[in-house]
Amino acid sequence: MVRAPARPDGGAPVSVIQELSRDRRSRDQGVSPRRKGDGRWALFFLAPWFVGLVLITAGPMGASLYLSFTDYDLLSAPQWVGFENFTRMFEDPRFLGSLGVTFTYVFVSVPLQLAAALGLALLLDKGMRGLALYRSVYYLPSLLGGSVAIAILWRQIFGADGLVNQVLALFGVQGQGWVSHPDYALGTLMALNVWTFGAPMVIFLAGLRQIPRMYYEAAAIDGAGRWRQFRSITLPLLTPIVFFNLVLQLIEAFQSFTRAFVVSGGNGGPSDSTLLYTLYLYLKGFGSLDMGYASAMAWFLLLIIGGMTVVNFLASKYWVFYDD
Amino acid sequence: MRITRTGRPSGRGRRLVAPAAGVAALALTLAACGGGDSGLGGGGDEPPAAQECPCEIRFAWWGSDTRHESTQQIIEAFEAENPDITVVPDFTDWDGYWDKLATSVAAGDTPDVITQEERYISDYSTKNVLADLGALDIDTSKIDDGVLGGGQIDGTQYGIPTGINAYAMVADPELFAEAGVDVPDDATWTWEDYVSTANAVAKGAGDGVWGTQDYGFNEAGLNVLARQRGETLFTPEGELGVSEETVADFFQVSLDLMAGGGQPDAARTVEYQAAGPEGGLLGTNQGAMGIWWTNQLGALTESSGHELELLRLPGEAEGERTGMYYKPAMFYSVSADTQYPQAAAKFVDFLLNSEEAAKIMLTDRGLPANTEVREAILDDLSPTDQKVADFMADIEDEIVDTPPVPPHGSAELADIMERINTEVLFERITPQEAATQLIEEVTAATSS
Repeated sequence: MVRAPARPDGGAPVSVIQELSRDRRSRDQGVSPRRKGDGRWALFFLAPWFVGLVLITAGPMGASLYLSFTDYDLLSAPQWVGFENFTRMFEDPRFLGSLGVTFTYVFVSVPLQLAAALGLALLLDKGMRGLALYRSVYYLPSLLGGSVAIAILWRQIFGADGLVNQVLALFGVQGQGWVSHPDYALGTLMALNVWTFGAPMVIFLAGLRQIPRMYYEAAAIDGAGRWRQFRSITLPLLTPIVFFNLVLQLIEAFQSFTRAFVVSGGNGGPSDSTLLYTLYLYLKGFGSLDMGYASAMAWFLLLIIGGMTVVNFLASKYWVFYDD
Repeated sequence: MRITRTGRPSGRGRRLVAPAAGVAALALTLAACGGGDSGLGGGGDEPPAAQECPCEIRFAWWGSDTRHESTQQIIEAFEAENPDITVVPDFTDWDGYWDKLATSVAAGDTPDVITQEERYISDYSTKNVLADLGALDIDTSKIDDGVLGGGQIDGTQYGIPTGINAYAMVADPELFAEAGVDVPDDATWTWEDYVSTANAVAKGAGDGVWGTQDYGFNEAGLNVLARQRGETLFTPEGELGVSEETVADFFQVSLDLMAGGGQPDAARTVEYQAAGPEGGLLGTNQGAMGIWWTNQLGALTESSGHELELLRLPGEAEGERTGMYYKPAMFYSVSADTQYPQAAAKFVDFLLNSEEAAKIMLTDRGLPANTEVREAILDDLSPTDQKVADFMADIEDEIVDTPPVPPHGSAELADIMERINTEVLFERITPQEAATQLIEEVTAATSS
């Protein structure tokens, strides 16, 4: 099957990201005099967003930063305690446990999720009939995945008498209550995260479309097989997209809350096996009314995610290939 | 969504602006927060001067749809009697209630009349959120002193019990009959009898039916066992009053039941426990016994479709004294900051003492604490509720005392119990280790 070249002008092959950054560069190169006068209007239109940012985002963030240095139970005024909340964290076995659970969750489920997304994207990229339908169907879980309804459904599916065990029973395997066993409960949450591979898949699909056909044609002439083409053309040219998805999904996975909250019945159980970081943060803040500690946890999470992202960007130099 | 590549100097000047603006905004908000306790945390210490009606008071409660509807009717009846007072309803389900209440208090927007519960009332009273009801004009003469004491902390009446419940054994005679086992005599049975009965039922009834549902997640059971041994879960001083041995024995019962088949495996237990009374073993006709609060009998009976019975907990005749007690179902409290203390008091008085209100509410907030009102509504009760009323009357003479209000921080106890119980059921820790851990964690939670 012959496909139209990635860019209609037939120019040098470019990736999505490159295109985006090119766009940015062109905007940076001087502003025309006419556009200068539009500045005031721009500010005018930005104002509602800016007010929202200050009042709804920056304000509470500042407050939570202040609260993270206090002992605050919501019912009486906060007391300044310095770094006590932060030092207490590392003596709190449940906090350390929740860190362990969260890291396991993130580092197992995100790579699997991206692999699933890439695999499906490669299949769909074959240009099969009804592509739009398949794309929507596979994208659907991403839209629903964060919802309470899906989490409740998940709970049922992996319950003692749930769908999974009914299927297993057909093969004579006696299953068990997956969500209520401390060894398996986190696994069901990770499965849920993997299942929501639609968003990265759509981005992968767009990335695959950007790879010029001619590379494959050239490789085919040189006698490269499918696998070889994938390894030497698709994967390297796709690394910016992989990187983009990785950064995004890592950040998102670190902040997972709803599914753990619903599947565990709100307490991170059984025996803290699904106590994701944000869930413990919530339990501390609203369950134990230890809002100072919860705020400190929130800022520590910001540090973790920030740190992970910095590491990601530094490491990207060694494996992400920009074709220019 | 845009990724800027590292190491490219494009747009550097602009990049600095955003962080700078952020820092400035942060500094502003910090300055605002630092300026005293405005906004954050309950406001000043002095209650505002009482004001005259016509007025509007807000009543906060949690519960199901049926409770919301009946409470609305009660409010209408009250407003008809007191045309100058408007009561604004403020209700949610149980889980959301405490989040919402804590945030409203923090925002200085405390409801005037607050429904409280024993796990939280200490937290709220020690933070001066609740008014001293003894100083308000509320008639409590028809409420038993022991029950009334359940709402006192250090001698101050911070809450008045709405009604009473008891933690009791619920049994399904039909399943007992199917298993060929007699329903035990609850006046004499011991904890050992409980285990052997449950195991026998499971054996007799065959696959898919168990003897009983695990009880380890609820601290009330531990409290009863402790009281039977002359101990108590919490002392009046707010310290843990239960011995390690008792806690270990408490968890051992579950292990004995699992070993003998009397209760399901750990994973199933966790699942049934999360499913509430209706989805539990009794509610789904898969278990012959279960320990529940008496006000849950209605829900259990309805979902099981069987005629269920109430029994005393095991060991009442075994230990040095009886352990069962009347638990205040919930409390009515009044905000210390309310502008209209008289109106709030009048409303609480109506809720407690009006026959009209009681006839609408029935046993939804526990069997009414006001004994005169309780008598008056007996004929209106459903057969199940009458069973509860009879049971409560039966055990009245055996009850020694009401446990003191649990201390500040005890709201975490339920969570701790559930977590440690799960560890025991999955045999990750022994009952002895569980006892040490429980005492350590509860002491830490209640001493902060």
